[in-house]
Amino acid sequence: MLLSTHSQTVDDNYVLVASLDNVRNLSNILKAITFKDHAIFNATPNGLKVTVEDSKCLQANAFIQAEIFQEFTIKEDSVGFQINLTVLLDCLTIFGGSTVAGVTTALRMCYNGYGYPLTLFLEEGGVVTVCKINTQEPEEPIDFEFCSTNVTNKVILQSESLKEAFSELDMTSEVLQITMSPSQPYFRLSTFGNSGNAHYDYPKDSDMMELFQCSKTQTNRYRMSLLKPSTKALALSCKVSVRTDSRGFLSLQYLVRNDDGQICFVEYYCCPDEEAEEEY
Amino acid sequence: MPVFGKAIHALARIGDELWLDPMVKGLAVRSVNSAHSAYACFCFSPLFFQRYCPNTGPAGACGTVKCKLVMKSLLPLFRCLATIERNVDCCQISINLPDNRVIFQFHCRHGITKTHNLGFQESEALQAVFSSHLCPNVLKAQARLLGDMVMHFPVSQEEITLSMSPLRVNLKNYYEEDKDRIKAMHTKMSLDPSEFDYFQVGVDSDITFCLKELRGFLSFAESYGLPVSVHFGAAGKPVSFSMEDMVLEANVVLATLVDPESKTLSQATDVPPPAALRCGGVGEPMEKDGDAAPPQAQRFPSGNELVVSSQGSPVTGGAAPPCVTRTEGFDRLRTPPQAHAGPGITAPDSSEVHSLLFGAMSCEQGFGRSSVLPSLVCSSDTEDDGRL
Repeated sequence: MLLSTHSQTVDDNYVLVASLDNVRNLSNILKAITFKDHAIFNATPNGLKVTVEDSKCLQANAFIQAEIFQEFTIKEDSVGFQINLTVLLDCLTIFGGSTVAGVTTALRMCYNGYGYPLTLFLEEGGVVTVCKINTQEPEEPIDFEFCSTNVTNKVILQSESLKEAFSELDMTSEVLQITMSPSQPYFRLSTFGNSGNAHYDYPKDSDMMELFQCSKTQTNRYRMSLLKPSTKALALSCKVSVRTDSRGFLSLQYLVRNDDGQICFVEYYCCPDEEAEEEY
Repeated sequence: MPVFGKAIHALARIGDELWLDPMVKGLAVRSVNSAHSAYACFCFSPLFFQRYCPNTGPAGACGTVKCKLVMKSLLPLFRCLATIERNVDCCQISINLPDNRVIFQFHCRHGITKTHNLGFQESEALQAVFSSHLCPNVLKAQARLLGDMVMHFPVSQEEITLSMSPLRVNLKNYYEEDKDRIKAMHTKMSLDPSEFDYFQVGVDSDITFCLKELRGFLSFAESYGLPVSVHFGAAGKPVSFSMEDMVLEANVVLATLVDPESKTLSQATDVPPPAALRCGGVGEPMEKDGDAAPPQAQRFPSGNELVVSSQGSPVTGGAAPPCVTRTEGFDRLRTPPQAHAGPGITAPDSSEVHSLLFGAMSCEQGFGRSSVLPSLVCSSDTEDDGRL
């Protein structure tokens, strides 16, 4: 392949080299978390984790395991940098969004280490584009301290059923209220908009419900504006797990299959809305 | 379920608000446009529903409540009809009086339930009284034929003119005189009376009405597959498009432009309308007033007269109610500073549309109370009269 011969000579300088035959296996997943300009990249021998945060209340992570890449070489335990995600996506999709059968864009991503730009080699049909994007000091991602032991309620749903609900959500509602309970209504999404309330109920025995583990009744509200970007991840996914912990923090985990059928994960963490809650 | 959704779509093309009126004889869903020149009503009989229970709960003195909903809140619920058809098993509509909410509950596949609680305003009934059986001209055709007729006009075409004579039915687009005629594309089609299932011409007339507002109804009729009846008279009088079967009655009443040539005629309300003069002989049952409301509907003043509106104001015999004059364009509602005057008033010479006047009349007011008002509105008691 063109790219590998080109850069073999300078391989020694790179602390991270990752190659993909189909760049969409990376760009599609990154699109699901692009609601802010800047993202924190963290690469480990396990793979790549990209983090985007919003106002300290919302965090989205995309995980692309090392196995997804055709080549994934890392010389340190952890390589991290911050980068403009919008610019990165523009470069990854520089050949356009063409989905002509059999034609894919190949990617070779190289990083020299602290202070160096991220270098992208993209090739399609014999045409090679080289992009160098400046990197910044990586910020420490917020630790939401969401651990499995603290989880009070968990459901796993097939995404299809949630996609419709999310596309219909009343956007005039400032909050999205999620109720999870071992008894009726089991799993409920509610909005409170200008015209009135809406409730979407998913019973625990629905065939869309793959897992239902709710130990106590919890109702939490989250700002609609924060959760709206998660719809992109939902659209890509085939399954989603919804978990809340004792503090009311929300974890949404999306199982995404890429073009080649491989599995990647996207997760969203969100703080509950602290404003005084009234009963509707 | 999709039929109901399509009715909502058709009503949404007319107005911004929806009146929900559960009655013993069925559920009426109505809308009127802001200019009050277009009115639509879909009445679903109890047979349409799997279960129909009016008057559940503590019903008020009037028997049932009349709700006014904002169309913008309701339309998204029925936005994607294909999805509804695929996913929704049944829909339950109920009215919660104490909370002022109409509840739409969709029971969907996979056990999923969607509940929408929409706030409503209690409102008086809305109904246009239009005695279609008194109209001299009647056409009846399959909705498909009408759809094919209007298909030839561009979507942006606001108004069209329907002309009827014993020999032909013509349909052409309407353009204003002073606009640039060169730029407009003129379309005209001509049909033989035999193309219609039913053809009755009482008076030769050309009526001009708003096509845009009709399209929603026509597309509903086409998908539902019933023939549509068109009732109308002379220019200036409303035109009604209606269809009905065992479970559903639907109709749209549109105001028509007044023929500018009739400006010179006397304006007195007790003068027979120009239709009588024009065809010389078609007897309008004008003189037997004092009867039920329908004759009043015919008492449409012609020409550019200020038409009295009963909108919102309690009309008493002597008081001068606010007047409404309609100018071309269907979308302006002006209240002229002067009170209603008698005959002799001439309005600006731009062609005017007589609005269908809808007053939110209370149950208590009788409908035959004032012969001054050429209104089409009838109080809710008289649902049987002036049946559309």
